[in-house]
Amino acid sequence: MIQLEKISKWYNTNGARNFVLKDIHLDIEEGAFLSIMGPSGSGKSTLLNIIGMLDTSDEGNYRFFGESVFDLKEKKRTELYKKNIGYIFQAYHLIDELTVYENIETPLLYQDVKGSERKAMVADMLDRFNMVGKKDLFPSQLSGGQQQLVGIARALIAKPKLLLADEPTGNLNSKQGEEIMELFKKINTEDKITIIQVTHSEKNAAYGDRIIDLLDGRIQQNIQ
Amino acid sequence: MIKNYIKTSFRNLWKNRSHSFLNIAGLGIGIACAALIYLWVEDELNYNHHFANRKNLYKVKDQQTYDGTTYVFDATPGKLAEGIKTEIPGIKRTSRATWNSKKLFSAGDKSINEEGYYVDPSFLSMFELKFIKGNAIHAFDQLRSLVITEKMAIKFFGNTEVTGQTLKVDNQQDYIITGVVEDMPTDVSIQFEWLSPFKIYEDNNEWLQQWGSNGIITYVETEPNANIEAINKMMFGFVQTKKSESIAHMFIYPMERWRLYDTFDNGKETEGRIKYVHLFSIIAWIILLIACINFMNLATARSEQRAREVGVRKVLGAGKSKLIAQFIGESLIMAFIAALLSVLILVLVLPAFNGLVEKELSANIFKWNHLSALMGISLLCGLFAGSYPAFYLSSFNPVQVLKGLKLKTNVSAVFVRKGLVILQFSISIILIISTMIIYRQVNHIRQRNLGYNRQELVYLPVEGNVVPHFNAIKYDLQKTGFVENAALSRSMVLQLGSNTGDFNWEGKDPNKQVLITVESVSPEYISTMGMKVKEGRDFYSNIKSDSNNVIINESFAKIINRKNIVGSTVTWGDDSKYTIVGVVNDFVYNNMYGTAAPLILFTDTTSVNYLTVRFKPNSNLSAALPAFEKVMKANNPGYLVEYKFVDESFDQYFKTEKLIGKLAAVFSILAIVISCLGLFGLAAYTAERRTKEIGIRKVLGASVNGLATLLSKDFLILVLISCFIAFPVSYWMMHNWLNDYDYRVAMSWWIFVAAGLLAILIALITVSYQAIKVALTNPVKSLRNE
Repeated sequence: MIQLEKISKWYNTNGARNFVLKDIHLDIEEGAFLSIMGPSGSGKSTLLNIIGMLDTSDEGNYRFFGESVFDLKEKKRTELYKKNIGYIFQAYHLIDELTVYENIETPLLYQDVKGSERKAMVADMLDRFNMVGKKDLFPSQLSGGQQQLVGIARALIAKPKLLLADEPTGNLNSKQGEEIMELFKKINTEDKITIIQVTHSEKNAAYGDRIIDLLDGRIQQNIQ
Repeated sequence: MIKNYIKTSFRNLWKNRSHSFLNIAGLGIGIACAALIYLWVEDELNYNHHFANRKNLYKVKDQQTYDGTTYVFDATPGKLAEGIKTEIPGIKRTSRATWNSKKLFSAGDKSINEEGYYVDPSFLSMFELKFIKGNAIHAFDQLRSLVITEKMAIKFFGNTEVTGQTLKVDNQQDYIITGVVEDMPTDVSIQFEWLSPFKIYEDNNEWLQQWGSNGIITYVETEPNANIEAINKMMFGFVQTKKSESIAHMFIYPMERWRLYDTFDNGKETEGRIKYVHLFSIIAWIILLIACINFMNLATARSEQRAREVGVRKVLGAGKSKLIAQFIGESLIMAFIAALLSVLILVLVLPAFNGLVEKELSANIFKWNHLSALMGISLLCGLFAGSYPAFYLSSFNPVQVLKGLKLKTNVSAVFVRKGLVILQFSISIILIISTMIIYRQVNHIRQRNLGYNRQELVYLPVEGNVVPHFNAIKYDLQKTGFVENAALSRSMVLQLGSNTGDFNWEGKDPNKQVLITVESVSPEYISTMGMKVKEGRDFYSNIKSDSNNVIINESFAKIINRKNIVGSTVTWGDDSKYTIVGVVNDFVYNNMYGTAAPLILFTDTTSVNYLTVRFKPNSNLSAALPAFEKVMKANNPGYLVEYKFVDESFDQYFKTEKLIGKLAAVFSILAIVISCLGLFGLAAYTAERRTKEIGIRKVLGASVNGLATLLSKDFLILVLISCFIAFPVSYWMMHNWLNDYDYRVAMSWWIFVAAGLLAILIALITVSYQAIKVALTNPVKSLRNE
């Protein structure tokens, strides 16, 4: 599904290259649950953003379902992206001005899904996450765990093939974190959605079936 | 999708209520202001549109060249109308008309002065008068017939069923009312309450038979497809075919230019009122621009708050174009709310504005051109003001935004923002300076020494027995103790209507004609006006003793240029010889901005039209005026005493300038208000953005004063830069404007300094509110938030 070849990214400081990522090779099969670990500044998030097509590398090749992502025009890439990828953030990043319902609905708007269909899909999702009663609340009226559930629901609504999560439990207490990870596991096994998460926690990483360890922009360890 | 956008927009607007309010209020005021100007301009451009046939209507202009200078008059010979109609192809109809003249009309015990013209019967159909009673064809069948307006009919009789009734004119003949026409709208050049056959006037004025005497207006209606150039070619030499030595060259001048042009400089048409129409149209756009700048500035300044939303939407799959659409949509929504607000503002201020510009403007939202103008303007504002923020906001990189990194302040955005503030304030300062200079120029002229004392001087048209009984009236007036002197004259002192090039004197170049103003007066004229005899003597009080003597003004004396001017002679035409007995000081007439043109005074009361009365200095007018009226009524029974003050009539000359001054003042205030709304918003944003910095500084021991200065300084620098841009621009603009006036005020440097200081002061007040507010915040609060 995902092939990264010789991916490097750097910043120029005082004329010297400061590598964020260096020669990353990575193959990810469909249906995998990959955890990316590593200390702060090791390049985890950058790698995730490159996989998520939000960022580009300075060198290397990235194939997504066989398509060479970096060679695509922006429009094409956005198309590929919004059909296949869902994103989850540590800080949830819900739109404050929209209700729970509307937040979940938004990705569908960008995919031009019809109104009636949209309604059904959002209702389904609310049902599945037990949030029907909260659909008219605004993000600020929810707890952190609930906000992250909305974030996940939003990421899943468009039925992506790949779910990217950047420290999804970073702002949550351990109980809420566990619930989220259980949910991930379930999504991965039942819905066959590929998941890549960035995490600090060994425990969370263990939910995945594969862990890579990054240090200074290089893959240290690749545990299958 | 659109629903989602609109929802976000409204929730965003509501969440940032104060910010939205500033934005919408600024834009709303801007649109309202532009709408006012639009209405004014529309009204000016539609002047005379009442006449459906206006494209074919003209009046004859008369140009005469004296000593290299060409003058253009409306006055034409009496026989011209008939002559050009029969001899020049393409001219369909013509009508002679007198100048607007006031006559006393009486019915029963009701006597009222009304203005009107003597015109030919063709006038009635040329100007498409709408007859309520009677008709255009037969209205003037009888000699002493009278067509009156509905208003006048109701004034006298209470209804319009008045054909066949008579009105006594000037306490002499009875005229029979043969028609009642609809009142003229206020926005046309032809204004009258009554019309009467020109024949009556013709019978009393023999000079109308001479081709050399120009004294009436000639209106022309051309055939629909007439060749105007060919007509004017024939017009040019037409008078010469009748009187070969004439220097009067005629041309026809279209109705469509009467209102907005009709000013001539040395025979060439120059911009008249249209100058101000253009000017204010430009100002309308500029004020809209200022309002749009606010919008852009506030929107980009708040971008940080929207940045996260942009990031999230991008991650959720929104393309750049969709985000641009969203933000432009948002600004369109605001523009339309602003448009609604502007309608409200318009409704509230239109009556006051009408009072200011002395018009009856009305906005009608259901009139397609008003509605489409409003919609068009708001659409334009929304698109224009929304475009820059939309492109700016939609270009955010989601990775950076969502990492929670503080956005690096975009250097170019800040540059643009500062540039826009400078632009706003430059415009505002230019407007302030212009307003001040216009006001000073108007005041300068109004305080001009005209060469006589125009205070406590009243004038009124002479009617009935005033001329024959003048000496008795003067005696009675002086006996009241309030009146110092009184005099008769052909013209009222500010506007001397008669001139000729037919004077000769010893040493004059025989090939040159010099245009000399001629005025006939009673002997008391100079002393009544308070003019000074510079050389020689004043007229003797016995009018007969000076019948062959004249007094000239200084500029005429300068032209004659000889020693012993008193005692020398001038001849008028071929034979009449006059001795100069005195030289009166130059006094200003006709052109209030110019210098006195050469003038000659005769003592002759056979054709005088005005009585001028000088009250004693500092007399109590509330007692003096009734005493004066009583004397007039006693000596001239049956006539109304309708007098005017010379200084008030003098003020009328500056109506346009005063209007321009008032409009400039209003719009410069609005410009600065809108600019300050924007500045206030920007200051609020900056204060918010620097809360943390301020907190730290406070903890480190900064004083409130110091912090307020720190925050205000940046803005003041911008205003200061604006000053340096505005000064030369406004200097150049006002220099050009003042150049139109011979008598003009100097542009003092302090005006510029004052305008600059005013702008700085206003900006400081605007900004310092925010600065002080932030400086006073408890640092614990602002630091904890981080």
